[in-house]
Amino acid sequence: MRPILSSFFVVLLLVVEPASAQEAIDKQVDSLSEQVEALTELLESLQGVVDRQQDRIEALEEENADLLGEGESEVVEEFSPPDSPEGVPTATEPRISQSLNPDIGVVVDLVGSFTESGEDEEGNDRLSVREMELTIGHDIDPYARFDSTITLSDFEEVTVEEAYVTFWGLPWELQARAGRMRPKVGKATALHRDELDTVDEPLVVQRYLGIEGLFLTGVEVSRFLPQFIEPLSQELTLGVMEGGIGEDGSLFGETRRHPTYFGHLKNSWDFSPATNLELGGTYLLGSSDEDNREDVQALGVDLSLRRNFASSRALKWQSELYAQDRDDAAINKSPWGYYSLVDYRFASRWGLGGRYDWVELVNPDPADSDDKDKAYSAFVTFYQSEFARLRVQYQHADLATGERDNRFFFQGTFAVGVHKHKIQ
Amino acid sequence: MFKSYTFLFCLFLSSASVFAAPLKVVTTLSTFANLVEEIGGEHVDVVNIAYPKFNPHFVQPRPSDVLKVKKAALFVHAGLDLELWRGPLLNAAGNRNIRPGTRGDLDLSRGVGLLEVPDRKQSRAEGDIHLYGNPHYWLDPANGKIMAWSIGEKLSELDPANADMYRAKVAAFHTRIDEKVEEWLARMAPYKGYEVLGYHKQWPYVVNFLGLKMENYLEPKPGVPPGPKHLDFLTSYAESESVYGIVQAVYFPDRASKTLSKRTGLAVVKLSQNVGDTSKVQSYVAMMEFNVGQFVALFESVASDD
Repeated sequence: MRPILSSFFVVLLLVVEPASAQEAIDKQVDSLSEQVEALTELLESLQGVVDRQQDRIEALEEENADLLGEGESEVVEEFSPPDSPEGVPTATEPRISQSLNPDIGVVVDLVGSFTESGEDEEGNDRLSVREMELTIGHDIDPYARFDSTITLSDFEEVTVEEAYVTFWGLPWELQARAGRMRPKVGKATALHRDELDTVDEPLVVQRYLGIEGLFLTGVEVSRFLPQFIEPLSQELTLGVMEGGIGEDGSLFGETRRHPTYFGHLKNSWDFSPATNLELGGTYLLGSSDEDNREDVQALGVDLSLRRNFASSRALKWQSELYAQDRDDAAINKSPWGYYSLVDYRFASRWGLGGRYDWVELVNPDPADSDDKDKAYSAFVTFYQSEFARLRVQYQHADLATGERDNRFFFQGTFAVGVHKHKIQ
Repeated sequence: MFKSYTFLFCLFLSSASVFAAPLKVVTTLSTFANLVEEIGGEHVDVVNIAYPKFNPHFVQPRPSDVLKVKKAALFVHAGLDLELWRGPLLNAAGNRNIRPGTRGDLDLSRGVGLLEVPDRKQSRAEGDIHLYGNPHYWLDPANGKIMAWSIGEKLSELDPANADMYRAKVAAFHTRIDEKVEEWLARMAPYKGYEVLGYHKQWPYVVNFLGLKMENYLEPKPGVPPGPKHLDFLTSYAESESVYGIVQAVYFPDRASKTLSKRTGLAVVKLSQNVGDTSKVQSYVAMMEFNVGQFVALFESVASDD
C-alpha cells in the first residue's frame, strides 16, 4: 500500500509543481535505496541464523542416531529372546484354536457282580454298564468355572450327577460352589465312583449317605485358614443344600424342602515331600422327614495317610467314621459306623488292598438277629495305562438280617477325552 | 499432632516399600524353581510342586500345594501337556491372578524350540502321546536360555524396580551357558553319532544337543511298561547294531533295564531330568554338566572295555 501511495504523490507533484518534482523524486529514490540496503543486511543476517540452526539440527540428529544405535544393539544383544535351537519348530497354534472348546471326557465303568444273594438287585449276577460319565467343563469368565457330570447307566435314567459353578476371587480369599455337586464332606463320598480305591462305596457311606454317595443341589463356601505351622494346611468348608439324601441312604429323609447344613474342616500335614497325613472332621444337620426339621445330625471323622515310595509305588491308609444323633423315631438313636482300607500300589501296573466295613443300621428290622452290617473286602487292581484300569474284588458280608453274602466284583474303568481328577 | 501421626504413617509405608516382601513364585518343576531363584535372587520366594525324584507327569498335589498356588503372585510351568495335574491344581486354588493368560502366568514353552511336534492326528493308541510336541524341552541349553529370558522379562514386568538386576542376571546366565555349551560340545565331540537306548522318550533334546542317536526305547510306546517281547526285540537290536548303553531317569524302575543289561552287556546310566533328582544336581548348569559327565563316562568305559 505504501509504494502505491508514494507513487501517487510523485505523480501529483509532477503535475502540480514540475521544478520541485525532480528533487522529490531523487529523495524518494535515495530513501528506497536505503531501505533496500537495510533489508538486504537483515536478510543476510537471518540467513546466517538459519544456517547455524540447520548445522545445530544436523549435529543433534547425528548425536541422537548414535545414541539410538547403541541402545538398539544393547537391547538386541541382551534382552531379546535368544534363538531357538536350529531346525526345530516353535509353532503352538493348535493350543490357540482349541482353547475355547470345553473340556470333554467320557469315563465308562463296566461292573460285573456275582453274588450268593438271591435278591434281584441292580447289577447282581450280570455284567453291566454301571455308569458312563460324560464330563464337560470350562472357564465361564475370569471369575467362574462350570463343571458338570452327566451319568448314563443301564440301571436307570440319565442323571445330572453334578452341574455346578465355582466362583473365584471372592472377598477374604473365599471360594464358592453353587449347583448340583458332591459336597466337600468326608473322603469317599466326595469322589466319583471311578476314583474310588474299591469297586463299591464303603458300607457306612452306602447305608447313611447313599450307594453312590451324596450329591445334591446347594451352595458351599470354602477357605484356607491362616497357616500357623508350616507343614499344616487347613481348609474350612461350610454349606447348605437341599434336603434329602443319596439313593437308599438313611441319614436324612427324602424331603427336599428342609435344607441340610454341612461343614468340613480338612487338616493336612506334610511329613515329607513323599508322606502326607490328612485328618478331617465333618458335621451334617438335616431332617428325617417333612414333619421334622433339623432333627438329625451326624459327625464324621476321616483319616488318610499316603506314602509314596517311588513314582509307581505308594501306600495309602484311609479310614472314615460317621456317628449320628437322631431325634426321630428311629430304633437306634445314635447309630454309627466306619471303614478302614489299605491300598498298596506295589508296581507301576499293580496294586492290592483290603477294606473292613462295620456299620449300625438306622432302622434295623427288630426281627433281625443283629443291627449291624459287616464286610471284609480284598481287591487287586491292574493299571493297564493312565486311562484304563481293571479291578477284581472279593467281598464277604455278614448282614444284620443274619445272611452271609460272598460277592465277586469285576470292574473295568476306561476314560477317553479329557480326564482330569479333582484334587482330593 | 494429627500431622505428626500422618507423617509417621507415611514414613512407615515408605519403609515398608523399601523392604518389600519377595515375590511369591510357585513353579511346577524343580528345574524351573532353580532358574527363577538364579534370576530373581533375594527378590523371589520360590517353591515347586513336583517332587523331583518322582515322575512329573503323574503328581498328586496335596492341600499344601493348593495353598501355595493360592498365595502365589507368579505361577511358572512347562505349558504343553507335561503336567496333567496343572489344571485341577489351578482350579482348586482359585487364584485369579495366575490363571492361564493372566499377568501372573508364565508358560515357559512359549518361544522354545520343540521336537516331535505331531504332523498328523494323534491317538492314545500310540501311548501317552504329547499333542504339542515333546515337553521335556528344558534339557537343551538353547531352550534353557530362552526360558531364563522369559523368566527375567516376567519378573521385570511384575517387579519393574528390579528389572535391571533381573536382566543382568539373565545376561550372566546366558554367558555362562554359552561358555559351558562350548565345553560340553568339546567333551562330547569324540562321541558324535553314538547310539544309546532310552527308557522313556524324554531325552530327545539332550540327545539332539549332544549329537547322539536314540531311536529305540524300553517302553514300547510312551507310558507303556516294557514287556518280554519288546525286550527280546531290543536284545537282538543291540546285538546287531552299535549301541553303547541304556539311559533312564532316576525315577523309573530299573528292573527291565538291568534285564536288558544282563542280556546285552550294555551299561545302564541314570541321567538327571530335573534339578534335585539326584543329590549331585542342585542347579540347571549342574544338571547339564551331570548328564554330559554320565555320557562321557559311559562311552569311555565302553572304549576301555574294547
